[in-house]
Amino acid sequence: MTSRESRTNRRDFIRLATAAAAFGPFFLFPDRALASQQTLKIAKWTHFVPEFDPWFESAAKEWGKQHDSKVIVDHIPVEQISARAAAEVKAGKGHDVFIFPWPPAEYQEHVIDHSEIYQTVAFKYGNVHRLGHRSTFNPKIRKYFAFCDSWMPAPLHYFADYWGEVGMALGPLHYNSLRSGGKRLRDKLGVPCGLALAPTLEGNITTHTLLYGFGGGVLGADGNLMIDTARTTEALKYVKLLYQDSGTPEQLTWGPAGNVRAMLARKSSCTINAISLLRVAEKQDPELAKKIMIQPPLIGFSGVFGLPHVTNCSVVWNFAQNQEAAKQIVADLVDNSKTAYEKSKGCNFPTHQKTVPDLVVRLQNDPQATPPWKYNALKDALHWTANIGYPGFSDPVTMEVFNSFIIQRMFLSVAKGERSPEDAGDTATAEVKRIADKWKHAGGENGPS
Amino acid sequence: MIVVPRKDKVVKSILKTLLVCAAVFALAGFLAAQTTSPQTFPVFNPPPCDFNDTFYNVNGIDVNKLDQPAAGRFGIFRKQGPPSPDGGNNWTNDSTCSINNPDTTDVRILATTAGYPDDGSKTHTDFISLIAFVLDQSFFLQNFTLAEGDNTVTIANGLNPRGFSMQSIAGNFEAYAALKQILPGGTFAPTPCGTMGNGTTPCFPVTSVATPQLRQDWRFASNRNAIDGSSGGASTPFGYFCDDILGMWILTYFWYTDAGFGPHQTTQCNQMLAALASINGISLDGTPIIKTADELNFLEGSKVGTNPIPGFSGSSPPKPGCTAEGQEDVGGADQGAVWVICPTILDPQNGAIAPDAFLDAVRKPNGSFLDPGFQKQFNCLQTTGQFCPPTT
Repeated sequence: MTSRESRTNRRDFIRLATAAAAFGPFFLFPDRALASQQTLKIAKWTHFVPEFDPWFESAAKEWGKQHDSKVIVDHIPVEQISARAAAEVKAGKGHDVFIFPWPPAEYQEHVIDHSEIYQTVAFKYGNVHRLGHRSTFNPKIRKYFAFCDSWMPAPLHYFADYWGEVGMALGPLHYNSLRSGGKRLRDKLGVPCGLALAPTLEGNITTHTLLYGFGGGVLGADGNLMIDTARTTEALKYVKLLYQDSGTPEQLTWGPAGNVRAMLARKSSCTINAISLLRVAEKQDPELAKKIMIQPPLIGFSGVFGLPHVTNCSVVWNFAQNQEAAKQIVADLVDNSKTAYEKSKGCNFPTHQKTVPDLVVRLQNDPQATPPWKYNALKDALHWTANIGYPGFSDPVTMEVFNSFIIQRMFLSVAKGERSPEDAGDTATAEVKRIADKWKHAGGENGPS
Repeated sequence: MIVVPRKDKVVKSILKTLLVCAAVFALAGFLAAQTTSPQTFPVFNPPPCDFNDTFYNVNGIDVNKLDQPAAGRFGIFRKQGPPSPDGGNNWTNDSTCSINNPDTTDVRILATTAGYPDDGSKTHTDFISLIAFVLDQSFFLQNFTLAEGDNTVTIANGLNPRGFSMQSIAGNFEAYAALKQILPGGTFAPTPCGTMGNGTTPCFPVTSVATPQLRQDWRFASNRNAIDGSSGGASTPFGYFCDDILGMWILTYFWYTDAGFGPHQTTQCNQMLAALASINGISLDGTPIIKTADELNFLEGSKVGTNPIPGFSGSSPPKPGCTAEGQEDVGGADQGAVWVICPTILDPQNGAIAPDAFLDAVRKPNGSFLDPGFQKQFNCLQTTGQFCPPTT
């Protein structure tokens, strides 16, 4: 080899310089490279099943890798969701995607129309089912204010051995038996019935379920008040008696998941909750889990009626920095519904049933459950679960009432003996009317009629 | 190799077949004649009979419980007495039952209980057979296996082969019972005794739903199913005639409250009850007869989409409610029926109402029927095999 061969001639130098100019900066200035990568920020309520959130985060980040995006997922405790969402709306900035555990109808003016996402998903998996549709669509403005990809049924959990002591090993079945059997059970075993009545998500869902179970409601299908009826009074009278006959003072002050902890400690005989309760029990204490059974919601005035413990609703703010990517990830995450169902340990029921086509088979033979058919009680859950806001859609008034804990406070005040059922009903009616009027006047077509 | 039968053998075979057919038809005619007097209309709907023990078991009902006196199963108990008004038989032995339907015993039900359908029509078209009372949860079988040929039917952990429990199926179908609230001394009792009540006295007893204890006729939700949305509210995932093949009901008792009737009646309830009585008539208690779901729901204080009571908007229900409803303790604390086995006759025409059947409906003290519409319809079905023409 001659020395000439090892030298770099002018032509080679130019070639190298050109290549360096073309590719060099990425290696030389990595910060600049990251800056060109888009960032997608997701806020998500903290799941009840601890294993779910790490999986979700990794799935979201994996999506980011495939789409040249940096994905940041912030997990927010359920009890802080409302405040954080309100703060972002007020500031006009925040996350690109905000995932609520309930229908965020009151933010309908601050979000994009999610019809496009539903259409994208429909090409793969068909239309969203009725519960998802009625939880995220406002027929007055013909806008999907959120995208619902999953939901959680809220069955009655009960200790079969406790209830067997009072002749109800198959569960209390209807509201009267919950009270009468619950009274006998507390008298005999000293174990109270543990429906959540405190200002938590569990308390909110439970008290709304009670209200609807007695034929009451917040608004009718026509958008007019429904809370001002005798059915509300009857529901309140019932809860007063239920609390007196079979309750415990602790249920009035429980924090988040207080009803779950009471069940896990065998300190209550029953509660209304998502099956995350049972999943925790199966992991922590399989013997205890064996004793907990579930049944559809109690038979009441309107037959068997329940509300979803969680309606998993994603919104893309209309002030989101990265709307296109936000829309895409919300749509794409539906591809993971089957894994989401598994990672949530069966809590997250899909809104697009083709994503988990063997759902019923899974419920009939669950590998963690003893007996394995325990979750079979959920296979009709879509029949007996209605959206928050039933008989209407989940509208801004209903959801503002929900997030203001008006219904929960109404029940709590009666259980505590602070108000009579009639007074509590009147007070709540006035509050609901104020909210309805506000939306009517401020929102025009956005509000109920 | 093909074997060609000899001609005389073929003829003999045909003759044999004809003879067997003739014998079967003759036997069928004989058996039919045993249970029914000559009927001049086409008869192809057999009258109702009790289910056999196997059928109860495979549908999740413990026959041992059912055969206790308190359950009052027809075929064992209640041969005479209520509902029969005159000491006649409530049921009879009939060997055609198990021929017409192998899932039944040869106990044919004569007592044909009437009720209003839950479709709001107020028609007199529901007829049922009140076979037995289910008093608590222990009546539901948890495990049962029947091996029959190559097939095995299993009730495992209370669930049928489709994965449903009988309790959950029956819980979707309500039979509305209206017990008398005027006590023997003439006092109005605004609340039931037992767990459904508010603990005050006077209260009306809830231990029996025998016809003499009723103030008005029944209402049955036999029309409920999820397909056409007739279940209302959150959908019923089951259809009565599709899934509830024992014809079981959960009993929903309904009554007039303190505000609804009696000395503490509110002006609002007074006016509404008067208006309802003007279209529906009054019960044995003097309270209006309630025939539809909307009427009851409205009087209970619920907004309804119709205007069920003349002169009152469905969106302005009474407050407090004039009526209330409830179900008995499923542990049996009330000592009455929580559920009943009383299948609705799917089609009461063309022979389902046999000539010797009798109408079981609420009667006035003079023996006449409280709602003569049931008698008229029953008579048409029994004598013509058809519902009465609409104009009659």
